[in-house]
Amino acid sequence: MEAFLEFFSFADANVRYVTIGSVLLAASSAVVGCFTYLRKRALVGDAVAHAVLPGVCLAFILSGTKNPFILLIGAFITGWLSLICIDFITSRSRIKEDTAIGLVLSVFFGIGILLLTAIQHSGNAAQSGLDKFLFGKAASLVGEDLIAFSVVAVVLLVSTIVFYKELTLLCFDQAYARTIGFPVRALELLLTTLTVFAVVVGIQAVGVVLMAAMLITPAAAARFWTDRLPVMLVLAALMGAFSGIAGAFVSYTAPAMPTGPWIVLIISMIAILSFALAPGKGWVARIIRQRRNRTLVLEENLLKLLYHLGEQKQAYTATHSLHDLLQRRAIPEKQAKAGLHKLRSQGYVTKSREGWQLTTQGQRRGQRVVRLHRLWELYLTQYLHLASDHVHEDAETIEHIITPELEQKLMEELSFPVLDPHSSRIP
Amino acid sequence: MILQVENPVVEVHDLTVSYDRKPVLWGIDLTLPAGSLVGVIGPNGAGKSTLVKAMMDLLPTGSGYVRIFGQPINEVRKRISYVPQRESVDWDFPASVFDVVLMGRYGKLGLFSRPRKADKDAAMEALEKVGMESFAKRQISQLSGGQQQRVFLARALAQNADIYFMDEPFAGVDIATETAIIELLRIMREQGKTVIVVHHDLQSAAEYFDWVVLLNMRLVASGPTELALTQELLEQTYGGKLTVLSKVGDLLRKQEFPSREVKS
Repeated sequence: MEAFLEFFSFADANVRYVTIGSVLLAASSAVVGCFTYLRKRALVGDAVAHAVLPGVCLAFILSGTKNPFILLIGAFITGWLSLICIDFITSRSRIKEDTAIGLVLSVFFGIGILLLTAIQHSGNAAQSGLDKFLFGKAASLVGEDLIAFSVVAVVLLVSTIVFYKELTLLCFDQAYARTIGFPVRALELLLTTLTVFAVVVGIQAVGVVLMAAMLITPAAAARFWTDRLPVMLVLAALMGAFSGIAGAFVSYTAPAMPTGPWIVLIISMIAILSFALAPGKGWVARIIRQRRNRTLVLEENLLKLLYHLGEQKQAYTATHSLHDLLQRRAIPEKQAKAGLHKLRSQGYVTKSREGWQLTTQGQRRGQRVVRLHRLWELYLTQYLHLASDHVHEDAETIEHIITPELEQKLMEELSFPVLDPHSSRIP
Repeated sequence: MILQVENPVVEVHDLTVSYDRKPVLWGIDLTLPAGSLVGVIGPNGAGKSTLVKAMMDLLPTGSGYVRIFGQPINEVRKRISYVPQRESVDWDFPASVFDVVLMGRYGKLGLFSRPRKADKDAAMEALEKVGMESFAKRQISQLSGGQQQRVFLARALAQNADIYFMDEPFAGVDIATETAIIELLRIMREQGKTVIVVHHDLQSAAEYFDWVVLLNMRLVASGPTELALTQELLEQTYGGKLTVLSKVGDLLRKQEFPSREVKS
């Protein structure tokens, strides 16, 4: 708790820098990742992330320093090279893109690990800390590193804003973009470059192994909450930023912990929560909808039941005992009771000592369900030519979902019928 | 029956297009008159879409050239409009109907600039023309096939072009949409625009188009509907593949042969 307060009071200048850096890195890769995600090139991001490692190592071997700019350039070169390799393999051979990505990713990463091991055993004192590129270390984002990486992150954010219109069209409909004269090749190049840059700056915080998650996971999570691209970009950036802060916090309070896995775990938690909670598409929303449907069916069935019994006696507001109701239709007693009580609280039925009774409103609603049921049976026999003994089961469900507009349409198409296929009157 | 016209809007000269070295279109040579509704007709796999895409320079061509308004297509991009096949995009993209139609203005806007008020007005007008104005805010994944097609059409209309290339606009749409679209195409023709439509339904072709291009890997006919849409030519178009032609194509692919000799 103390560490928490200490960190989030931002009193320590180091903490401020690390936080700013992590937020910028995570947010910029999330925004670029949205476009990568929408272009369905998620795997490419992963390949680039892994291919960056040999570049970092080579830059270190050749220059002998850990100057962030030099390492960045090295990372950028091999990241790019990996994309060219993927393109080359897919266009010049029968190998499909997913296989090419797999090949390039492992070869580049393999070389990277090889070089890293060689450096670590070379006895060069300056090499300590180079391994943070594997799993990331947000807390080391200070001084020169911070400036270098933040500048790139800001450039990324600005570029996506400037090229928003172009990138959107590229992702949605590339062929069309070409026909209206957009320089599609250049735009593709731009998006690829942005992706490579996002990876290159992100690895400082997350590391090469898990960088792909920083690109794609915020985009996938944000997509659940909105159907509008600008909102999606902002949401992805916010989710990325949040996980960035959390990662920085972990990295600060527990220096032995690798930051990358923590950031990725947190952003993954956000994604899982999004899948579960997002309105309309999420699991919870679907469960609620299904439950609501079940209640509606139960209530309308009870009203229909009371109406049917009333129809027999030609006394719609007569009182019927629960026993009578359940004999006519097999509804579990507990459910029936709960449903009836709910209907009473809604004012559709009343309860007396003898049993249950429809109110005027309840009678109307029951009547409507019966009418829809019989209308649908008639529709099925007339328009789908189903036998009249096959239509009941269908009508049992359809009666609950027909809207007033559809009801009107049905009435018209059946020219305001009086009797259903079983010669029952349509009320 | 391949009729060439004076002052064509579209001129295709000796066009050969290959996929993976196998030619799917052999030496197409045709010209199209201005202000006409042109139907590109042929069986599945005849290369109809390929021809339209090659005309728009969306595919690499093996030989030949295409001139539109007498110029290479890159010179006249602002005057042409393309309605791709509905299935060519992912309709689950986070965009509204209006967003997509507004894309029709991007060509005129060029790079960097944002859509202005006037562009938004033009997009809304285009939506009204296809009867989709009440769907402007709707997410595109919630549209039916016919509605998606109308949105694509509205996007093309918003471009305000002189020549329109449409790839199967009538595929998988309801009758109401089909009637609405053909009605629009006729209005466009009356305004002097040229509309080139890839179409696969022979029944309606005679009624819809005033010029037809019959295609089956090679050009069978190109001419006014009453002259070109004859029993005999249709039999040539649909009467089975030219076996030798496709066998030779397969050979070219297997032997990795170029379809034309490389000039040294």
